[in-house]
Amino acid sequence: MLYSDVRFRQTETAPPRHGGKIDLTLLLLTLLLLGIGVLMVLSASFASAYYDLQGETGGNAAWYFLHQSVFAVAGVGAMLLCARVPMRLYHRLSPLLMAVSLLALVLVLFVGVRVNGARRWISLGFTTFQPSEIVKVAVILCFPRLICRFGDRMRSFRYGVAPFAAILGVIALLLVLEPHFSATVILLMLGAVLLFLGGVSLGWYIGGFTLLAVGGTAAYLQVPYVAARVNAFLDPFSDLTGDGWQIVQSLYAIGSGGLLGLGLGQSRQKYLYLPEEHNDFIFSVVCEELGFLGATAILCLFAALILRGFWIALRARDRYSFLVGSGISAMLALQTILNVAVCTNLVPCTGISLPFFSYGGTALLIQMAEIGILLSVSREMPGNG
Amino acid sequence: MPGWDVHIANQSPNRRMLRRALFLMIVCGIVAFTVLVLRLFYLQILRHEELGGAAMEQQLRETTVPAERGKILDRNGTLLAMSATAYNIYVSPVEVRTYGEDKELIASGLSEILGVDREKIAALAGDSSSWYKTVAKKRSAADADAVRQFKNEHGLRSIKIESDVLRCYPHSSLGAHLIGFVGADNTGLAGVEYSFDKQLTGESGSVRRLKNSTGTDMLFTGYESYIDAENGSDVTLTMDVTIQYYLEKHLAQAIRDYDIRNGAAAIAVDPNTGGILAMASLGNFDLNNYQRLSEEAETEIARAPESERAALRSAAQQRQWRNKAISDTYEPGSTFKIITLAMGLEEGVVNEHSSFYCGGSMNVQGRGKPLKCWKTAGHGSQSMVQAVQHSCNVAFATLGLRIGEETFYRYCRDFGFFAENPDTSAPLTGKTGIALPGESGSIWWSHDVFCNEENFSQLAAASFGQTFNITPLQMVMAVSACCNGGYLLKPHVVASVTSPAGEVTEYGREVVRQVISESTSKTVNSILERVVSDKKEGTGKNAYVAGYRIAGKTGTSEKVAQNMVTGEKEYIVSFVGYAPADDPKIVVLLLLDAPSPESGIYISGGQMAAPVVGAFLADALPVLGVQPQYSEEESRRMDRAVPDVQGLSLAEAAEELKKSGFACRSIGAGARVTRQLPAEGSVIAEGSCVLLYADAEPSGQREIVPDLTGLHYTEAREVLGQYALFLRSDNAAMTDLDTVEICGQNYEANTTAEHGTVITVTLLDRDEGAYGRY
Repeated sequence: MLYSDVRFRQTETAPPRHGGKIDLTLLLLTLLLLGIGVLMVLSASFASAYYDLQGETGGNAAWYFLHQSVFAVAGVGAMLLCARVPMRLYHRLSPLLMAVSLLALVLVLFVGVRVNGARRWISLGFTTFQPSEIVKVAVILCFPRLICRFGDRMRSFRYGVAPFAAILGVIALLLVLEPHFSATVILLMLGAVLLFLGGVSLGWYIGGFTLLAVGGTAAYLQVPYVAARVNAFLDPFSDLTGDGWQIVQSLYAIGSGGLLGLGLGQSRQKYLYLPEEHNDFIFSVVCEELGFLGATAILCLFAALILRGFWIALRARDRYSFLVGSGISAMLALQTILNVAVCTNLVPCTGISLPFFSYGGTALLIQMAEIGILLSVSREMPGNG
Repeated sequence: MPGWDVHIANQSPNRRMLRRALFLMIVCGIVAFTVLVLRLFYLQILRHEELGGAAMEQQLRETTVPAERGKILDRNGTLLAMSATAYNIYVSPVEVRTYGEDKELIASGLSEILGVDREKIAALAGDSSSWYKTVAKKRSAADADAVRQFKNEHGLRSIKIESDVLRCYPHSSLGAHLIGFVGADNTGLAGVEYSFDKQLTGESGSVRRLKNSTGTDMLFTGYESYIDAENGSDVTLTMDVTIQYYLEKHLAQAIRDYDIRNGAAAIAVDPNTGGILAMASLGNFDLNNYQRLSEEAETEIARAPESERAALRSAAQQRQWRNKAISDTYEPGSTFKIITLAMGLEEGVVNEHSSFYCGGSMNVQGRGKPLKCWKTAGHGSQSMVQAVQHSCNVAFATLGLRIGEETFYRYCRDFGFFAENPDTSAPLTGKTGIALPGESGSIWWSHDVFCNEENFSQLAAASFGQTFNITPLQMVMAVSACCNGGYLLKPHVVASVTSPAGEVTEYGREVVRQVISESTSKTVNSILERVVSDKKEGTGKNAYVAGYRIAGKTGTSEKVAQNMVTGEKEYIVSFVGYAPADDPKIVVLLLLDAPSPESGIYISGGQMAAPVVGAFLADALPVLGVQPQYSEEESRRMDRAVPDVQGLSLAEAAEELKKSGFACRSIGAGARVTRQLPAEGSVIAEGSCVLLYADAEPSGQREIVPDLTGLHYTEAREVLGQYALFLRSDNAAMTDLDTVEICGQNYEANTTAEHGTVITVTLLDRDEGAYGRY
C-alpha cells in the first residue's frame, strides 16, 4: 500500500540508486565533533598518562591522544568507505554480520582479554576490539531488514516481538556473561527504539516499562551492587570516599567550570581526582575547561548531528534506509544523552561512553562507520544529486 | 531470498513509522538536550560557587613556611642561640611501591649515610600504608647532600629531603638554664626560649598550591598564593657571658672541692636595675644536646636494672633541666639576718651602736625549749654591728621581738617573700614574677600563726631565717633592695627585644616598691661590709678580696624536713655578697646544697660559700668596670710582679729587688745578672727570694712539689724557696693572719715542677672560734 502523502520526495523523478552526494552538513558536524573530541582526549588524559609510569602509557602524557588520533584517522577512512557502500549491500550482508558478531560474542567469553574481571576485548594482535560494539551495528542493520520483511505483521506478537526478543535475549545473555552491563542496557534500548519505529504496538512498551520498574526495584532491593550505585546517585555526598567519589568528583569538575570554564587544558579535577576522566567522564572535563557556554555549544553540536541524522532518515528513499538511519541517530542520541546524564548525576552511574569524545579505538571506529552508513543513506535520498 | 527491489525499493516507511520517528527526533534531539543544558546551568552557574569551592578545597594544599627564629644575645651582643638550616630525610613507602623501587637499596644507602639502622629503614620503606616515614631529623647540609646524590644516582623518587631549622647554642652549656632550649618542633621548652617563645618565633607564612590527589604539584597550573613569614625577634638578655662564665667556673670548682651532692645554684643580679647578670644551676647540660645526661648519671643508670632505666633517665633529665635558682625553695638561714637588720634600722628600734647580750640561749614566749645561739658559750655583750659580724641568733631573735610580729610580717611582705592573702588563716606564698618558666612560690606561715600574740616562736626563728622557705631569687632580690637604696625591683632576664624591622622594646628597672629608706640602706651596707672586712670578728672574712669593698652575709641551714626523714644531717650553705659596698654594682647569692662532711672543710657558709663568692667577685667586678683599689697596707702585703734585673750588676739588682719587696740570692761567679728566676713580670709572694744567675744557667732540674696544705703563707713561701719554687695566692687578702691556712694548690703534692715555677695556692681562714652553723 502506498502512502503518496508521506513519500513526499519520491514522486517526481525516479530515485537514484546510489552515487548521489553525501550530506555535507552531517559530515561537517561529525568532523567538528571528532576534532574537538580528540583534542579533549589530549587535555583530559595527559595527567593520568603522565603519572601512570607502570601502566601502558609509561609516563608519556600524549599516549592516549596519539592512540585516539590513529583511530580517528582510521575512523574517517571507515566512514568514507561505509558511505560508498550502497544500502542494498548492507541489507544483504546484515544477517552475515549478525552471525559473525554473535560468534564473536561467544568467542570473547573464551579468548577475551580479561580486564578488571570482565572479558570484553578480543585481541587481534595489532589491536583489540569489543564485539559488543559490532553487535550494535549488527542490530541496527539486521532488525530493519526483518521489520521490512514482516511489514504489517509487526503488530502481532509472533512477528513483531518474539523473533526480536529472542535475538536480543541471546545477545543480552552473552553480554551479561562477559559481564558488560552498560552495553546490555544500550542494546536493549536500541532494540526497543527500532521496534518502536517498526510499528510494534505501544501496549508492549507499557508492559515492558512495568516489568523494568518491577525488575529494577527488585534489583535495588536484592543486589547490593545495584543498591550502592543507586544510593550513590541519590545522594553522592553521603559517601564521598566510596561509591559517591566518582560522581562527586564529576560534579566538582562541572561546577568548577562556571560560565566560561578554566580554559582549555586547565582542568584541575583531571589530576587523579576524577576517575575515567578521558573516558566515561570526559564530558565533566569539557565542562570544567570550557564552562557552561562551551559545554552547551558542544551539546548543541550533538543535538544538531542527531537532528540531521533523523532528518536524513526521514527523507530516505526507502523503508530499510529510513529504519537504519533512524536507528543510528537514535543510538548516537541514547549514548550522548545517557553519558551526559551520568556525568551530571541525572541517572545512576552506568559506564556509557560519549561518542567521538571518550577514549576507545573500537568504539570510535564503529561510531564513524555508523556515520558512514548514515551518509550512505543521505546519498540515496531522492532529489539528491 | 527475495531480492532487494521486491522488499525494499517500492516500500516506504508507513505513516506510523514516520510519526514515531518524528517523535523520537524531537525527544532525542530537542527535549533531552534541553534538559541536559538546564542541568548544566544548574550545576555550573547556580552551584558554581559551592562545587567549585569544594573542588578547590580538595585541590589546594597548604604548606607552612617557617619563620626564622630570632637570636638570643647577651647584654654585649654575644650570640647565645641562633638558628641554622637542617634537613629532615623521609621515605615515601607508597612511592616505593608505586615506582617499584628497591627498598633494600634505599635502606643500605641511607643507613650508610645517616647511620640509622638498616633494618629499621627497610621496615619504614615497606610500610606502604603511609605516605611518609621519617628516617632522620635535623641533619647537616653535608648529610643532605650525600642523600641527594644517592637519590639522584639511583633515580629514587621515594626519598624526600625537606629543610628544617636547627637551634644552635655556640656556648653549649653556658647559661643553659637561663637560655633554655627548643623541642623538635622548634618551640621553646625551657628558659628564655620558652618565656619569650612568641617573640622569638615570629609568624610562619604559608604557600597554597594546587596539588593532585597524591599530593604533588599539578602540571601547568600556575595557581599559588603566598603569605610571607615574619621572622622572629632577637632577644637581648641582661646576662653577661663573661660573668656567667666566672659564676659557673667558681660554682663548678666549689662542687668539686666540697663534694656537693645535691647541686648548687648561684644568681648574680644588678641591684640597680633588677637585671640578672648570671644565673647558674649545676650540674649543667649542653643545650645543643639537651637530652644527653652527664657521664656519672649514665653510669648510674647503667647500673640499675633494665626495667627501671627509662624512669631513671627521665628523672635525671628533669633534674638536670631544673633551674635550682628559681625552682627550689630553701630555708635561707643567717643570710636573712640582713633583712631583719634592715627592718630594725628602718623602724628605729636599733642603731649601729645598740647593744645585745648573748648568753648562748634565750627563752621565747610560746617556745617550749630555750632558743640556742649557734655559739653555745654565747657571744656576751655585743653591739649591733658585732651581732651581725658574729651572726648571733640570740641578738637577732631579740631584735625580731623588738620589731614586733605585725611589723616584721609587713616587711617580709614588702620585701617580696610572699603576697598578701585576705584569708588570714591561709598559708602564704609569693613569687618574683621573673620571666622564666618553673619559678616556685615561697612557703610562709599564715598571718594568724605568725602574728600570734601568745606565741613568738615563729617570729623569733624567722628573725634569723628559719622556719620558712623562699627561693634563692627572692633572697637575692630582697638583699638588692637592702643595698640599692631600698627599692624592691622585679627581676628581669631580657634587656630588650629587637624586631626584624629594627623596632626595639626595652625592659629596664621596674620598681615594685620602696621598702626602706636610702639612709637605712647605706647603714646596712656599712655594717655588712664589716662582716667581710673585719679580719677578727667577721664571719664573712673568707669572702674578702684585696682591693674591693665587698659586703655580705653567710648562711648555713639545716635541711630539717629531709634530716627528719633520712636521719642524716644535711646542710645548705650559702653566702650573699655584693660590691662595691658603697655603690653596689652586683649582688650575688651562692648556695651549695648538701656538701659532703668528708671534704675536710668545716660545713658552713663562712668556710665554704664565702671564699667562692669572694673569688667570683674578684673576677666579675673588673668586667663591670670596677677596678681594684688597694690600701697601702694591702699593697705592701700583696703578691707582686718581679722586676727585670737582667744586665744589672748584682748589687744594683739586689737594690732593685729590695725596692719591690723581694730578697735575692746569687748563683755563679759573674758580676752581672745574666738570668733570673722567676722571669720578669711573674707575680709572687712578697718577701720571696729571687734567684740571680751571674754567668751561670739555671739547671732546669725538676723538683717534687711539697704538700703545702695547712701551712701559713709565709711558711709555705720559705718551704718552696728551698726547692727554688715560688708562691702566689689566688685570693691574696689575708696572707698574714695566724688563722689563715693553705687549703689548696694548683700543682698537686708529689708531682714535679721545674725550678722557678710559681705555685698558686688558695687560702682559707680556719678560725676555729668561728666554727658554727652561722
